[in-house]
Amino acid sequence: MATSALRTQVSVKYAESLEKLLAADKEKRLNPGLLNYSQALTLASEYLRPYDIKDRAAMMRPRTAFNINDVRTAFAMVHFSHQLPALTEIFLEDMRKSFHLIEYEINAYMTRYEINGCRRLRETKNLELFRMLVSRLHDWFKAWHPPTECASPDSPSQTHTDVIPPSLSSFFSGTYTLSFQTRLFAALPPSFARGFKALASWCLAPEDYPPMVSASGAPIKIDAVWTEFEKLGLIERYESVISSVAYEHIERRIEETCPNNWAVPMLPEIREWMTQKVVPWMLKIFTHGVTSRHDTQSLLTGIGARFDFHVNKVLCDLRIKEIFNIIVDYPDSLGALQDLKETLQRVDQRGDLVKFLRKENNKRLLHPGADTQTILQQYVSTIKCLRIVDPPGVLLYKVANPIRQYLRERPDTIRCIVGSLVGDDESGDSLVDDDEPIQPLQQPESEDYGDLEWNPEPIDAGPEFKTNKPSDVISTLVSIYDSKDLFVKELQVLLAQRLLAIDDNDTARVDKERRNIEILKIRFGDAALQVCAVMLKDMTDSKRTDDHIQGQTPSVVHPTVISHHFWPTLDQSDIVMPGQFQQMQEDYAKQFSVFKPDKKLKWLPHLGTVHLELELQDRTLDVDVPPLEAAFIELFSQKDTWSLEELIKAVGNVDRSAAVKALSTWTNMGVIKEQNENTFVLLEQAEDGAEMREMAPIQAAPSLPPVQTVQQQEAEQMRVHWKFIEGMLTNLGSLSLDRIQTMLRFSPNYDKTAEQLGYFLEAARREGLLVVQNGMWRLNK
Amino acid sequence: MKVTIKNWHAIAYWRWDTGKEDEEDGEEGDVCGICRVAFEACCPACKVPGDDCPLIYGECTHVFHMHCLLKWIGTAASNSQCPMDRRTWGKLSPRAAASYGYCQSLTCL
Ligand SMILES: [Zn+2]
Ligand SMILES: [Zn+2]
Ligand SMILES: [Zn+2]
Repeated sequence: MATSALRTQVSVKYAESLEKLLAADKEKRLNPGLLNYSQALTLASEYLRPYDIKDRAAMMRPRTAFNINDVRTAFAMVHFSHQLPALTEIFLEDMRKSFHLIEYEINAYMTRYEINGCRRLRETKNLELFRMLVSRLHDWFKAWHPPTECASPDSPSQTHTDVIPPSLSSFFSGTYTLSFQTRLFAALPPSFARGFKALASWCLAPEDYPPMVSASGAPIKIDAVWTEFEKLGLIERYESVISSVAYEHIERRIEETCPNNWAVPMLPEIREWMTQKVVPWMLKIFTHGVTSRHDTQSLLTGIGARFDFHVNKVLCDLRIKEIFNIIVDYPDSLGALQDLKETLQRVDQRGDLVKFLRKENNKRLLHPGADTQTILQQYVSTIKCLRIVDPPGVLLYKVANPIRQYLRERPDTIRCIVGSLVGDDESGDSLVDDDEPIQPLQQPESEDYGDLEWNPEPIDAGPEFKTNKPSDVISTLVSIYDSKDLFVKELQVLLAQRLLAIDDNDTARVDKERRNIEILKIRFGDAALQVCAVMLKDMTDSKRTDDHIQGQTPSVVHPTVISHHFWPTLDQSDIVMPGQFQQMQEDYAKQFSVFKPDKKLKWLPHLGTVHLELELQDRTLDVDVPPLEAAFIELFSQKDTWSLEELIKAVGNVDRSAAVKALSTWTNMGVIKEQNENTFVLLEQAEDGAEMREMAPIQAAPSLPPVQTVQQQEAEQMRVHWKFIEGMLTNLGSLSLDRIQTMLRFSPNYDKTAEQLGYFLEAARREGLLVVQNGMWRLNK
Repeated sequence: MKVTIKNWHAIAYWRWDTGKEDEEDGEEGDVCGICRVAFEACCPACKVPGDDCPLIYGECTHVFHMHCLLKWIGTAASNSQCPMDRRTWGKLSPRAAASYGYCQSLTCL
């Protein structure tokens, strides 16, 4: 309830204001007293009332038709009589009533737009249609806008501009804009966003569209449209649409230029494209309506950072998808690895990389179809690649673990690694680069790859991860196993096979093996390879001894005399060489004891190679054969016909299958034939059809010297524990290797490592005693 | 048919000739009574077998790696006795003495 004092105060203020107003308009012959409040309100609202810009009559009656002095007075009175809220309400209500005019136009345009649809040919037409709609909306917006203090270009009249006092003007403008935009947004159909997107997209890459021309054929200036968008508040409203346009272009650009393109980093190129293409487009769209330079800067930095993030993310996703093949292609994929490294620093996809690569490895690498050499090769490349992407080695640690576990379960892994260590020709690609410096093995105790309980953490490096110094490839391969002993043993087996295969006098090959071992000594240490050194010394000593003996009593026998405690277990055989062979052995052994009186020679008659000349009635053959073959043919020189049993007996004792194999060497050469079952007869004359390959040296495929592999040796020792394992699996069903190992430790005299157990289980599996599935072993019933 | 051996690359291994016949000389061979390592392997102090780590033959018929025995004799506890039978370590058998040539060094003990 207003007090009389307040009423007095108000009327005093009003009188003052009116006084001012009157004073200002003194010269303009204004007659304020003629209007009462309600008339003022009506006049003001009439003045503001939105009109139909299509209506010619309304156009004829623009605001300039009003008596400007009357209007000014009316606004002043409305203001001073606190009728502003009422005027606002009337104005907004008028707008609501008139907005159907705009909705009608929107619908008209958008219906045409939608009828045109997405047909390519109509696309530019549609864009133009859309642009016209925006232009039209802007016209409506301008037309209904309450007059502002700023001169608008189409109404330069000075008197018009200051119709409403500045404070009132900005009040109206704000309220009007807000209300107009709210109604406009509500009126826009969903297809409007599509149109907006198409326009933004056109603007970013006009080359993707046919040239846009107006009806007159002149190119259309489209830039103004963004100002109109901004005025209508549509830039802010459709910011996500604008972003999506940029995102899609980034994705398309990467999709077009990057897949399988791994030689050079693509990130710099894409960033350059962003600078050339996307940044100017961003500037065009976003810098309207932003006044200060500082605002522009921060706006662009924000949006630019989002776009750059998207570039990183999309490229990173692509490279992760390609990672397996990138590793296969290493080192021709260094560019892609660089991309991956850089993008991973920006986006947090490291977990994805690990997950994906592990999945790929499981699918494409760690299965029975892949040979061990391939797995090792990919593993080595993985090491090299991930070290580039992530030098601390966290990623490698996580990816490597399953590969290492899998390799550990393969029986021939060590053999493969050792093979490539000594440059085994059969094993194909060498795992070791020639330029990799030879260095001692690094076996830091912190390397706990063997822990099968290890689980990948969803976040990066767990506490169990210790930064391991990047070690050389060989060290990493050797560290798949708990100790390097297995390697040394395998190395001995391999060296033994190779040395025993070396014919006498071939000192060059011995020297080559010696150089190999010298290099390996650097890696494994002198002590570990001492046994190999003795093996090599045996080779040299044999040669020296033989040279001496040949000087005394020439002989065709040139033995390699080994220190058998220093050689891997050689297959035993009881064969006795017949006829002249036995005589030669005895003679040579005698000479040996003369030269070395404290030693005697023991033959390993089944090993070695014999070079023979066979003179038959119609042909002469020159052949290199294993001793058993030689023994048999010697027997045939004594008698033409032999049964298999007789032959076996005549050479002491020999495996039936070995005997059959040796005989087939001769039948294949047409020297003997199987007359009746298991009865063989010498062919003094070649049979019809049998080729006479006279004097062509024939080599019976010399099998590798039968040195027991490390696995065989260990499997032999493990047999003792088989009953225990069998009982365990009978009672418990299926068990993992680790579990079996743990339980076996309770068994007396068990001192095998998990690897050794693995070989044994693998051997038992090959014999059909066990089956393994997902690392669980069970009895094969 | 005439079979002529042009060349025979044979494989053999060496054993110490301890005077035993092949039949009584087990396949695995004997071990040194001191280090329990096979004679044909080398003593714990050596890395290379054979001539570099020879055997020594006692009067008592016991045989050891020479290095093992010398080390044993060098200890005060040995009393210059054979570690197997505690008999005074006798001079080398003529056969072994002929084979080696270190009788001098031993008899000086
Ligand atoms: Zn000894
Ligand atoms: Zn020694
Ligand atoms: Zn004795």
